[in-house]
Amino acid sequence: MTAAVDQETGEVLTRPERPLAARNWRIGIAVLLIVGVMWSFSGLDAGLRDVVEAPREGWKIVKEMWPPAFKTVYHRGAVGKIFESLYVAWIGTMIGAILSFPLSFLAATNIAPTALRVPIRQVFNAIRSVPELIVAMVLITVLGLGPWAGALAIGLHSIGTLGKLSTEVIETSDEGPLEAISAAGGTWVSRMRWGMVPQVLPTVIGYWLFRFEINVRASAVLGLIGAGGIGGELVSQLNFRNFPEVGAVLLMVIAMVLVIDTISGFARRRIIAGSGRKIDDDETGRTVNLIGDLGGSGLTR
Amino acid sequence: MSDAVAPVAVRPRKPRPQLHTYLLVIALAAFTVFAGRQIGFRWSSFIDIWSNPFWGRFWPVPWGWVLDRHNVLDALVETFQIAIISTTIGCTLALPIGFAMSKLTTPNTPTFWLSRTVMSIVRAIPDLLWGKLLVTAIGIGAFAGAWALTIFSLAVMVKLFSETVDAADERPLEAARAAGGRHTPAVRTAVLPEVFPAFVAYALYVFELNIRASLVLGLVGAGGIGRVVETQRATFNFDRLMGILIIMFVIVMSIEQVSVAVRKRLV
Amino acid sequence: MIIFDDVSVTYRGGVRALKNVSLTIDDGELVVVVGLSGAGKSTLLRALNGLVVATSGSIKVDGIEVVGANAKTMREVRSHIGMIFQTFNLVNRTTVINNVLMGRLAKVPAWKSTLGLWSADDREHAFRAMERVGIVDKAYVRASNLSGGQQQRVGIARALAQEPSIMLADEPVAALDPVTTHQVMGDLQRINRELGITTLINLHFLDLARHYGRRLIGLRGGELVFDGDISQVDDDTFRDIYGRAITPDDLLTDA
Repeated sequence: MTAAVDQETGEVLTRPERPLAARNWRIGIAVLLIVGVMWSFSGLDAGLRDVVEAPREGWKIVKEMWPPAFKTVYHRGAVGKIFESLYVAWIGTMIGAILSFPLSFLAATNIAPTALRVPIRQVFNAIRSVPELIVAMVLITVLGLGPWAGALAIGLHSIGTLGKLSTEVIETSDEGPLEAISAAGGTWVSRMRWGMVPQVLPTVIGYWLFRFEINVRASAVLGLIGAGGIGGELVSQLNFRNFPEVGAVLLMVIAMVLVIDTISGFARRRIIAGSGRKIDDDETGRTVNLIGDLGGSGLTR
Repeated sequence: MSDAVAPVAVRPRKPRPQLHTYLLVIALAAFTVFAGRQIGFRWSSFIDIWSNPFWGRFWPVPWGWVLDRHNVLDALVETFQIAIISTTIGCTLALPIGFAMSKLTTPNTPTFWLSRTVMSIVRAIPDLLWGKLLVTAIGIGAFAGAWALTIFSLAVMVKLFSETVDAADERPLEAARAAGGRHTPAVRTAVLPEVFPAFVAYALYVFELNIRASLVLGLVGAGGIGRVVETQRATFNFDRLMGILIIMFVIVMSIEQVSVAVRKRLV
Repeated sequence: MIIFDDVSVTYRGGVRALKNVSLTIDDGELVVVVGLSGAGKSTLLRALNGLVVATSGSIKVDGIEVVGANAKTMREVRSHIGMIFQTFNLVNRTTVINNVLMGRLAKVPAWKSTLGLWSADDREHAFRAMERVGIVDKAYVRASNLSGGQQQRVGIARALAQEPSIMLADEPVAALDPVTTHQVMGDLQRINRELGITTLINLHFLDLARHYGRRLIGLRGGELVFDGDISQVDDDTFRDIYGRAITPDDLLTDA
């Protein structure tokens, strides 16, 4: 306690001391961050001058991209490549969705025995930790260059992320309806079909669409290693430093991603709203919740 | 059951699924088949990938090579350096921009729309394409990687953070404004304390994403562990690649555990 | 006829929820079970349809032994016992009729119900059940769009669709307001009278028990402490069951 004297009455007031612990923590963390950043910067192959120089270089290139050379890239078949990226993302999402859905039942605490659940979860985790691009690199050695290897890579990777998310949905479902079906003499299959699936399907389909949005971005990159789509075109234009062409392809990629995001976002809202879940429950709780519980599930990419 | 009860109310007719529901299902199915054909979908591939003669090359992992300091560890340190810089700078920048992107705390409508539009365009370009663009602009190396991931962190962070701000309680802000506070201090005192724990949680998540991303960033010459991945895959040393993947798996899982623990303390 | 003979239930972890309970319930009776929460009311009902497995003793439902029955026998027994839950236990994201049709699951081959191929007969039963509780106009509405009282009536309709000979209601009105409480209790009473379905209702509120019950069973700490006609019940009986005098909290309406 510290003492203070009232200016007017001369009364002595006791006041609680400002807690030091919180402030010390803050200072400590700030120092740690600054030291961390400085150490990290020292490891990079750059001086302070480069930090100023880099945005200028970047801006120079952005200026060179204008006006975009849509004509040239159109004649090189860029529109077809954009659609190819879209197909790769769609088929990949389909493969991931179809394979992950049954598996996620077998990975859920409230359904599957431990002996089954634990290995399947580990498979999800392992798959999740390998980026699609590396999966594609390996698949190309078997399936050859082309979009199919890319789609399969995206599909396999999606099993991990979708599997983990769907499992969470199944585990947080309401068990009341399942009990009601048991009480009415229903079998295990009835419990799943009529009690579980209608509960979880809207949310799970929402995740499929979300994954599709992420996969569209991923498929735009796969061309870097020859797994089809628009990425290959972008890389070759960049390598030859044909910046107007790069600008055109970039704008096409941005347009594709934004269009898909808009359509898919609309569909997701429709599904959640139509499923009778209270929106305010969902919209506010959902993102926080997901990240809170599932850090690293590749939800935001 | 007795049949004596007369129907109390007229039974409603089963609502027919609307025509456009059928059309949508058919269109999606047709699109799937068409897309599958376009990209060369083959059922046989699901078997072929298991009979891949390359699988043998993934094992055993040459731990002697993998754990040698100059082969992997140096690149891993670089990965961490890139991730630390880009997470710190990206997330710091995301704080004001995130506030500008939320209806609750934006100073005015033009700021709201401008920040949203710019950020959704930035987010539309995948991390690896940012890497490739920056490598072209400022040269091969970890510096370009740090730039790419800073932009990527910013893009991811503002989305997550602005959604949290959207969901924040608006009443304290109202109180701060009623007390005559100007915009920035009002947001700082009334909204920031509520959303800051989420901000820290997201920052940890973004750090983890950045570590993951650097696994592939080397493919475009943007430094980090991805550099090693690229050279090893080019020479078909899949066993070494496997070793690197296992190490990354362990690192990412540990970061995940740490951030789960930190998040628990924050909430 | 339902016969409990020296039934005990011990949960994992050693909690004894029922201790040597014996009682007989005749066809068509309406029995109200009262007791504090944790007295074993819920366990008593769930032991009857095997959702909770009795540790010892014997429970016979229409001559069939429930304790230790195999899965198939258990499903057969359950198909004749309708159950109503405190939390309704509906699938909120699907329609009322789909929820009610769940009562038909035991009577339809699994592959048919899985594909949703309900026969005209099943639908007819579902509609009859909905008509009996007055929610037929909501048949194609999503369950989540109904009020609490309406949702509980869907729960009753689902149980009725089973064409049950026994109805179990586990605190059916605990989540409802006083007005809907009386509607739902009235429905249960009417169904018992009109269809002659043996009905067991767990209740917390004493005045409700007095108002709707004919026979009253009191449980305390897993033991049967009262079993008799509702007319014999006085404040002392309740003191036996609750271990204390009646307080306004035990009444639905402050009298």
